[in-house]
Amino acid sequence: MNKNAYTSMNSILAVNRRDFVKALGACCSLSAGGLVLGVPDFAQEKQPPSPVETNIADFMKVPRTKHSLPGPLPGHVIKVTDKRSLQEEKSDAKVIAGMFEKGITSLTGKNMKESFGMFFDRHDVVGLKVNPVGPPLINTRPELVEAVIEWLGGNGISKQNIVIWDRFDYMLTDAGFTSQRFPGVRIEGLQTMDENGNKWRDKDGNHVSRENFDQKVYYFAKGIVGKNVLGYKDDEFYLNQHVFNGEYSYFGKLITQRLTKIINLPPYKNTGSGISMATKNLGYGSICNSARLHAPLFFKVCTEVLAAPVIRDKLVLNVTDGIRGQYDGGPDKNAQFVYPNHSLYFATDPFALDMICHRELMAKRRQMGSEVNQHPRFTEYLYYAEKLGLGVASVDKIKLVTLLA
Amino acid sequence: MILLPLLCFLHFGALDVLPASSPDLTLLPPDGFLQTWKMSEKVRVFTSADLYGHIDGGAELFLEFGFEQLTVQLYTPNFRPSRTPKQENELQVEVYRMTDPIAAAGVYLLKCGNESLDPSFRERHAINKYQLLFKRDRYLVIVNNVEGDEGIQPAMLDFARFIASRLPAEKPLLLDESLPKKGMVKDSLRLIRGPYALQSLYTLGEGDILQLRRSVTAVSARYGDANGKRTVILADYPDEQAARGAFLHVQSNLDGYLKVEAKNERRLVFKDYAGEWGVISLAGRRLMVEVHLSKKPA
Repeated sequence: MNKNAYTSMNSILAVNRRDFVKALGACCSLSAGGLVLGVPDFAQEKQPPSPVETNIADFMKVPRTKHSLPGPLPGHVIKVTDKRSLQEEKSDAKVIAGMFEKGITSLTGKNMKESFGMFFDRHDVVGLKVNPVGPPLINTRPELVEAVIEWLGGNGISKQNIVIWDRFDYMLTDAGFTSQRFPGVRIEGLQTMDENGNKWRDKDGNHVSRENFDQKVYYFAKGIVGKNVLGYKDDEFYLNQHVFNGEYSYFGKLITQRLTKIINLPPYKNTGSGISMATKNLGYGSICNSARLHAPLFFKVCTEVLAAPVIRDKLVLNVTDGIRGQYDGGPDKNAQFVYPNHSLYFATDPFALDMICHRELMAKRRQMGSEVNQHPRFTEYLYYAEKLGLGVASVDKIKLVTLLA
Repeated sequence: MILLPLLCFLHFGALDVLPASSPDLTLLPPDGFLQTWKMSEKVRVFTSADLYGHIDGGAELFLEFGFEQLTVQLYTPNFRPSRTPKQENELQVEVYRMTDPIAAAGVYLLKCGNESLDPSFRERHAINKYQLLFKRDRYLVIVNNVEGDEGIQPAMLDFARFIASRLPAEKPLLLDESLPKKGMVKDSLRLIRGPYALQSLYTLGEGDILQLRRSVTAVSARYGDANGKRTVILADYPDEQAARGAFLHVQSNLDGYLKVEAKNERRLVFKDYAGEWGVISLAGRRLMVEVHLSKKPA
């Protein structure tokens, strides 16, 4: 892709300009509205922010493949609940493995081997996108990852071709994704982040993780740069955490060059009045230089990054780890709001999956006495994905099957 | 007792990195606390400039209410309790110094959930096996039991008592005195100083729509009584002009999903996306917002 050649989204979406601008405005307005991860824009109190121009249209031009989102089962969501999965705060690996099998076979209507064949062949290099934030309470639990690896390995994928990954290497270790626990499996952070200083620079002054990102494949947001971002001590600190700080957020080379398939394994938690689950796990977990996007674009990123062919055509399965849930205080861990939910959620369509989980989590918030802000901005990005043909968000079109052990 | 601060000082003096100004270090339990807990790793101190380096999501809320400094220290046991064979048992202490007691209360009320209590601990707090959260004066303190091991829950309380004993005395804040008492839903009191806290309740518009400017503290609570359910937000501005300015700002910048049904110089009635009603009223230096009304206000 030519970095300077991107196409306006208006020419791609089959909606009128007014509706589209309204939708974009709603997405963009997430920032100043004050979601937890965003940055307040106190300077823009009188005028709503203008829609930010991105390269989504370039993504949409690329022909789809048989594996493109929303996959073979748009709008299908399976929820498997088993109370034995978490007892006295201990996860039961055997029970979780059983839930995983029940979820996969129910989703596809086929046995595990046939299900494998729907999504993979034995030569695939499969990335397992976990979320290690908030261990041991609200991260993707290793027991689920073990069940996935068992399935892939049992159907002929070499452990060397399975990669557990996330943005930051040290977080993976903290969450229990170590070579001791997962021998033979690759465990990779897209980048190194050293919180203490300058060890992340090489002799030429570049971030040591710079080469981990593919500067030919990116998410572009015009005029949005990683400078003077609130919450960061200075731009150097931002670079430490985000590697680059321009208008481009590059995808990891792991994703663009090595992985042939992705399984998304997000946790089940809130971020402010929205959720931080399937689409956010990849939307913010596949690219660098992401904090600049929180304020002006926030949830829109969760749709548009997943529209990039490197995600859209490789993401074949989503399993949301809802063995525990967190209904408030997220996205960071907040033990006061963590509860046993005993459930796994399955879908090829991450947008339908997030819509179901959003509604469930809001119901939980209501039940527990937390405030529920039902403003459309918190789900608009899912409808946006539906307009783009990436998934299903309309609840009346989603088929949810709930299975109890 | 005199030795404890001195020992703390000597201990921290040996660390590689010390913040230039870190008075809160003396609040931390010393190395060897309870003859069990070793200070592990370096103490870390965060200011408003780099709080995001510690909190992965949510730093903005602290900044909005008014944050000065966070001190973080990890402790590990120097032996394995028989009930806890794992070596990973750790306690992490986070001491948040806010700008003022109301700032500490504002964050506390958003983080305390339903306030499960330990009757032996006197400070306002919430505790479960993973976390003890308490506030005192302008401090918010979190003791994290990293693995959730119930065997070390008593130690969490000892850590909290140690820190609390070194904090300034708590003064009554009378946070909800301006709110009506009748029908108020228990534990629904919230404080608001800007868009992040407001957003968790309701979306009235972009940015600092109530013009609180991180200095005016609005109070909010939910109600459920014979008149139905509603959420009330009250903001008392420094003077009538400021309140009027805020009212006009809301009127001019009301969220696009809220449909104005009636308005005059002191009142704005709207219907929202869920078919519920809202009303914003100006009276002197007070702005009152009522939302989630099932009927159109008279």
